Amino acid sequence: MSLVFHMGTFEAVFPIDRLYAKNHMWALEREDGLRFGFAAYAVRLLQDVYFLDWDISADMDVREGMQIGDIESSKAESSLHAPLTGKILRINNALLKDPSAINVDKYDEGWLFEIAADTTPLLEASEYLQHLEAVWEVTQKTIKGQLNE
Amino acid sequence: MLCLQGIEGDMIVLSWMYPRAARWTLTRNKIQGQEGVTLLVEEIDSDEDEEQETEQNSEPMPRVIDSLNIPSRKIYCLDLRIHKEAGVYLQEIKRISEEAKITIIEPTLENVTGKEPSDAQESNGKAPGQPVIIKEETKRRWYPVIDMSRCTNCMECIDFCLFGVYGVDHTETILVEQPDDCRKGCPACSRVCPENAILFPQHKSPAIAGSADVLENLKIDLSKLFGAPEADAVDVAVRERDEQLMLVGRDAVGHDVGLERRQIERDDTKKDELDHLIEQLDEFDL
Repeated sequence: MSLVFHMGTFEAVFPIDRLYAKNHMWALEREDGLRFGFAAYAVRLLQDVYFLDWDISADMDVREGMQIGDIESSKAESSLHAPLTGKILRINNALLKDPSAINVDKYDEGWLFEIAADTTPLLEASEYLQHLEAVWEVTQKTIKGQLNE
Repeated sequence: MLCLQGIEGDMIVLSWMYPRAARWTLTRNKIQGQEGVTLLVEEIDSDEDEEQETEQNSEPMPRVIDSLNIPSRKIYCLDLRIHKEAGVYLQEIKRISEEAKITIIEPTLENVTGKEPSDAQESNGKAPGQPVIIKEETKRRWYPVIDMSRCTNCMECIDFCLFGVYGVDHTETILVEQPDDCRKGCPACSRVCPENAILFPQHKSPAIAGSADVLENLKIDLSKLFGAPEADAVDVAVRERDEQLMLVGRDAVGHDVGLERRQIERDDTKKDELDHLIEQLDEFDL
């Protein structure tokens, strides 16, 4: 089961078996923590990812919003920020060699990292969609307004 | 500049600036002409499958360039930073002169001292055939240049700048009135310009220095959407302006000065019922 958000004509699909962070990452509960990856919204904005770099490593404590890495695609670049406060358990090292799984299998093989943390600040898929409704306009403005920076 | 103002025909200008910055600097100095297209361009990493996703819904705005009476002669601006080899430039100059179908008159004894003055060469009173070398120390100058093909005369810049750099001419058109009053290193007005029409030829960021690369192939920075702390172009501009104000012993003004217009305009652009009615009327084939 999935929910769909329309980004213009593009349909971004969000499985309801997991939670979502406001910075457009999904979170799946695992034995010892939460596994995070990019949600369809983020992947659509990034498009073809060719570079991924982390400032973090296993056992590191991160705060919500803290910069933890960088990503670059053919169309965009972004710093990456921790979706919540907790301890990094592991990083998906396979992506460092070839980040293409972020595009081809974002909800499984394309996972990014795992954090031992509380799920409290995360959103259900339906709540996340409401968040998207609210931020979609800002997102479009951000993309269109870039030339002024 | 005085010397360049005297040239009437097509012109090739070589400088250490982006062509766009050079062209509008010349325009400001009353050296006007149509944009000559050079094949010497900066290398741009372009992806051929580039599709323009951000469609412009808004009506095209009138630009200042539409009201300028630009002569039909062409001005070609070449960026000297692209190649190290002089030959490349000579080749391009030859190509352009072919294209413009003008004959280059070599400065020989006959045509410099002869009775028929050529429009490509001006006699300089020196020994014939000798180029004039102006021994002037080149200082790094810092000033804004307005790209009139993008400027809509919205006056955001004149409102925002508190150093009196901007003014208006007799037709109420924006112009850079006091370029030397501009605060070195401060590109704040270019950040608040809604049309990205203000260039600083000497700025380190290619976007602000007038690079074509940035205009056509900008990489979108998604950091803010992915959780980076908020700091938009206006915030950066306000901070830069405050720094400059404090440097000259004035008080910082924050967001309080020169940003109102932006807010008012925004409300004005909202369409009301009357606008929709008029649009519907327009659809009728009357």
